Amino acid sequence: MSHRTVVLIALAGMLMVGTAWAHHNMSALFDFNDRVTLNGTLNKIDWRNPHIEIIVDTKSGDQVQPWSIEGPPPSFFRTRDINKSDFEAALGKNVTAEASRARDGSRSGLLRVITLPDGKVVSACPQNC
Amino acid sequence: MKTSQRISVVTTAAIVLAMLVLAALPVRAQLPKDPEERAKLIAQIYAANARQLTVFDKDGKAVATVGPRDLYNQPVFSPDAKRIAVIKQDIEKECNDLWIFDVATGKGTQITFSKSREQATAPAWSPDGTQIAYAALRDGYFGIYRKPSNGEGMEELLYKASAPLTITDWSMDGRYITYFATDLGGGGIYALPLQASGERKPIEMLRSSSQVQGPRLSPDSRFVSYASNESGRNEVYVRPFNPAPGAAAPPDGRWQISQEGAPGMAFWRRDGKELYFLGANRAINSVSITTAPDFEFGKPKVLFRPSEATPVAPGTASVNRDGDRFVIAVPPPALRQLTVFDRQGKVVSTVGQPGLFNQPGFSPDGKRLVVMRNDPQSGNNDIWTFDVATGKGTAITNDTPPDNAPIWSPDGSQVAYVSTRQSYSGIYRKAADGTGEEELLFRYTPGAGMVLTDWSPDGKFLTFFTGVLSLVSLRPDQPALDRKAIEWLREDYDVVQGRFSPDGRFLAFLSNEGDPEHLQVYVRPFDSNKPEAPGAGAAVQVSKNKGGVAGMIFWRKDGKEMYYMTRDWEVMAVDVTMTPTFQAGTPKLLFKLNGPLPGNPTQWKNVTADGERFVFAMPVR
Repeated sequence: MSHRTVVLIALAGMLMVGTAWAHHNMSALFDFNDRVTLNGTLNKIDWRNPHIEIIVDTKSGDQVQPWSIEGPPPSFFRTRDINKSDFEAALGKNVTAEASRARDGSRSGLLRVITLPDGKVVSACPQNC
Repeated sequence: MKTSQRISVVTTAAIVLAMLVLAALPVRAQLPKDPEERAKLIAQIYAANARQLTVFDKDGKAVATVGPRDLYNQPVFSPDAKRIAVIKQDIEKECNDLWIFDVATGKGTQITFSKSREQATAPAWSPDGTQIAYAALRDGYFGIYRKPSNGEGMEELLYKASAPLTITDWSMDGRYITYFATDLGGGGIYALPLQASGERKPIEMLRSSSQVQGPRLSPDSRFVSYASNESGRNEVYVRPFNPAPGAAAPPDGRWQISQEGAPGMAFWRRDGKELYFLGANRAINSVSITTAPDFEFGKPKVLFRPSEATPVAPGTASVNRDGDRFVIAVPPPALRQLTVFDRQGKVVSTVGQPGLFNQPGFSPDGKRLVVMRNDPQSGNNDIWTFDVATGKGTAITNDTPPDNAPIWSPDGSQVAYVSTRQSYSGIYRKAADGTGEEELLFRYTPGAGMVLTDWSPDGKFLTFFTGVLSLVSLRPDQPALDRKAIEWLREDYDVVQGRFSPDGRFLAFLSNEGDPEHLQVYVRPFDSNKPEAPGAGAAVQVSKNKGGVAGMIFWRKDGKEMYYMTRDWEVMAVDVTMTPTFQAGTPKLLFKLNGPLPGNPTQWKNVTADGERFVFAMPVR
């Protein structure tokens, strides 16, 4: 079966709420083999469709390096009992995020797993794997 | 990198088709938490999607059904044709697993046991039938695995992949597993050597800017067959693999086997003397082959053609090694009759003959329908109009790219629709009588899909959604490629199906703002001079159904009544006023249909302007 067929099935979800708006096959934009683990401060969250975005400030020496990390849509987290408030509570605190790096070499990536300050591990798979 | 709406080119076409064509009922999405709703929905999903594994002979006669109906895909015969490997979906667990069924007894054995939200797909048998290979997502990584076909023992990782892939075969000499992968840049076909020592490295047999799929090696592994859309439509090709020194090279590096279109599914007979593929007009074709000393092939001939009611596509069918048995995962009947109902739910008329229709919509004058039609001959998804009185159909589009989400222009002279060309989904328009050239109105972010839902009464805006409700301004002085999507309502909740009020002062839409598990109809002010966001004031909730709303939002032309459909297939009406402010009355049931219905109600615009007639693509049961 082709990816087309796989995705056809995977995304045929319009009659239920919480449809997976975010995108499954992101390999053209992100290198799934090139993974980076970021340890830094959660600086910003944009908790909106079609997918969330978080900014994690890492440090390289004295320099702060902001990383933009794309995640699944809010509904993805909601069905896993993870809410915006969980991420809001982590703002300004230390998080660890594993992401597939963008192919364009920018400091951005596709979220795979994030560990929140309270130790809660949130996986973005299979959406982003 | 801007993290906007981007997906692969494959997904581009897929998302809109998924939402518009195959969404008879979803097969994978998030289920309600309420046990009663959850059970009801799962039952509906099975009713609408469960397939029956059916074995056909070379004349197209069904000779056996295997196992119970279920959510199957990718059936593959074992080398001796006594067993069938197939992927079965588990809705509750949100995963896919590999099963093997005995053809004679129908007994099934589960081979893989994926964790929730993991999957095993794309099975391929070892030449001796003792093992089975498959692609799987495990702990966040895709890989190629194998396992004994009796289900015993552990699965073995053969190759860890960087992205999703689809296995299509295990070569008959046992040396390679072949697969393909696609992305925004096109696709590639690969052979994974199994006998190499150390880390296995796939051999790239072909990398193309086109979509290339379904690689299968000839029995001697000297040639590979595959499908490619390099000519603008899928055809089956063969090219050398590991050519012997001095071997004759084909023109352009490959031989084109099919000439009239072929979705793919090319299988070699075990003696290498015949190749089978799914050709034009749903026909299973065979073609004679010679591989030694040089590659030669004959003219394809049709073996049989499954009925129009039995859609067959790569991924739902395969051929055994002897070329005399075909297994198809046969879905429920897919033919639909365009049917017009009155406000009491009584059938007033039918339009044309049954076909593979979706998303019918009334023209503003109620005399014509626009509809998506899947052509059983070409497999193409095109836009058609039908005269309600005579049933006469007119093709608006007739091309390979999937066209969907048709919407009438306010004056009924044109039809707008979404079509995917290369990496882009775009909105096009064409005269409603099918004449003239199509015009590109808007091109979206590369790789992103969208669902077109309305054209404003003044003709100046289109609405579409991606979870975000967006607008396109059709300013005539602005070239199509300069037009940008305007995010009218982008929130953490889902917003879909924007529908303009007749006076253009309001937009109705579905959202789960109030209850994450249920979509309801809301209305907010729209100001054409400030289309970047809703006007002042809170959203007014129109529907209050416990089970939520499926879609079909429609405003009567006089602006005094609105319609929608609940998830229980109830057609509802509600009195509304638009001046001085928008207000909605208590919704009342007009009639209830015997669901599930095919298509995506969040795109339906299927009511006449006077609110007297409703059209649906009713399954021919």
